[in-house]
Amino acid sequence: MLTATEWEVLALSVSIAGRAVLFALPLALITGWVMARTRFPGRTLLDAVLHSSLFLPPVVVGLVLILLFGNDGPIGEMLARFGIRLIFTANGAALAAGVMAFPLMLRACRQAIEAVDPRIEAVADSLGAGFWDRTFSITLPLAAPGLIAAAVIGFAAALGEFGAVITFAANIPGETQTLALAIYAALQQPGGEAVALRLAGISFGVAIVALLSSEALLAYGRRRSGQ
Amino acid sequence: MNRRTLISALCAFGVTTVSATAASAAPPATRATITVFAAASLTDALQAVGKAYTARTGVPVRFSFASSSLLARQIESGAKADMFVSADQVWMNHAQKAGRIDAGSRRTLLRGRLVLIAPADSRVAVRIAPRFPLAQALGANGRLAVGDPAYVPAGIYAQTALTRLGVWPSVQTRLARADNVRVALSYVARHEAPLGIVYETDARAERGVRIVGIFSEASHPAIDYPAALVRGASPVARGFAAYLQSPAAKATFRRYGFRTFG
Repeated sequence: MLTATEWEVLALSVSIAGRAVLFALPLALITGWVMARTRFPGRTLLDAVLHSSLFLPPVVVGLVLILLFGNDGPIGEMLARFGIRLIFTANGAALAAGVMAFPLMLRACRQAIEAVDPRIEAVADSLGAGFWDRTFSITLPLAAPGLIAAAVIGFAAALGEFGAVITFAANIPGETQTLALAIYAALQQPGGEAVALRLAGISFGVAIVALLSSEALLAYGRRRSGQ
Repeated sequence: MNRRTLISALCAFGVTTVSATAASAAPPATRATITVFAAASLTDALQAVGKAYTARTGVPVRFSFASSSLLARQIESGAKADMFVSADQVWMNHAQKAGRIDAGSRRTLLRGRLVLIAPADSRVAVRIAPRFPLAQALGANGRLAVGDPAYVPAGIYAQTALTRLGVWPSVQTRLARADNVRVALSYVARHEAPLGIVYETDARAERGVRIVGIFSEASHPAIDYPAALVRGASPVARGFAAYLQSPAAKATFRRYGFRTFG
């Protein structure tokens, strides 16, 4: 049904979007918890900074990533000492996609934490559960549906991300060429519309599968918790 | 107020409204502007030429700079441009086949050269020749920055040149494929790639790179920039099209590293 090239692009896209969620979701969870549960000066400013990839043009985000993580960038230079190279690599594409998807995951995580009744946490606290015990046995399980939603929306956004990825990671088949980039490349060629539409159909299929599996995961969670 | 006054007042109101509508619908004859869709690689040079033209004639020239493929598609789907300057003949042919180009006005305006570049502080030295050691010059894990050979004209020329020189197979998996030639240029200027292939004009515009070598014209198809008026272009656009061929405009183009004809 799919050609070998299409399979390769599909597998690479899923892998890059998956890696993007893997590194961005824990950060979104931590910052979401901070935003939901703490009050401190400069909180609104921090919130705006965390959402910056939502309102900055994606190519600007890509450029900022080059300035930070490129060979001349402060973080890039540090990583190079450990032999880690991000620019023009699949991990770099995941970084760019993850940064772009981060604000959406952050919002979902924050709302999921906010929806957990602090009084239940207080009860656990009064019964002698420490911070970590309370977090892992009360807060996170109760927030799980929202966190799954955060993962799915982050995966979908990372899958479709284009501007930041092509700027930071370039369009390298087999390394950084995701579905979104392959669609763009096809559209640049005369008569490439048919190829682009096929690839768009594949993206749509992946999104449906991701959505259905998140629904299944939620249903499983509900059965287990007996709700 | 008697009835007659009322009717004449209404008529006057109606006439004013209609004439106001008519005036706003008519093209503002005194404030004619020229809209030029041009390949991104012409940005600096054409802006300078456009400014000189406006200073001379008082007619403002607006530019939309983007990839030739995008511009050709926009013109094909009816974008209101007066003139199209493409970075290759392929996309001009595309727009012409779609019936949107005034074929009689089509001229090859400029010609470019393809160069191999390195960061300005790089000490790499290679001579472009058949089977020259390009892959070795990239080092262990360096990439060659090029416009994507799948669709960016500068990348397509680079692929052809490297293929004819017999070095394409050794570097085709080591490309940093950029979305346009200026991104490839910035990869080299920022040391993300040790070498790159861009137009001479791009290399001259960026202080962060130096030209390592120039590809001979025999190694790739001519890098031509065709220009043409779009069908239904405003009459003032003809003046600008003629100005592009004038000695003053040609001198400006040459200053930016293009070669001109005649």
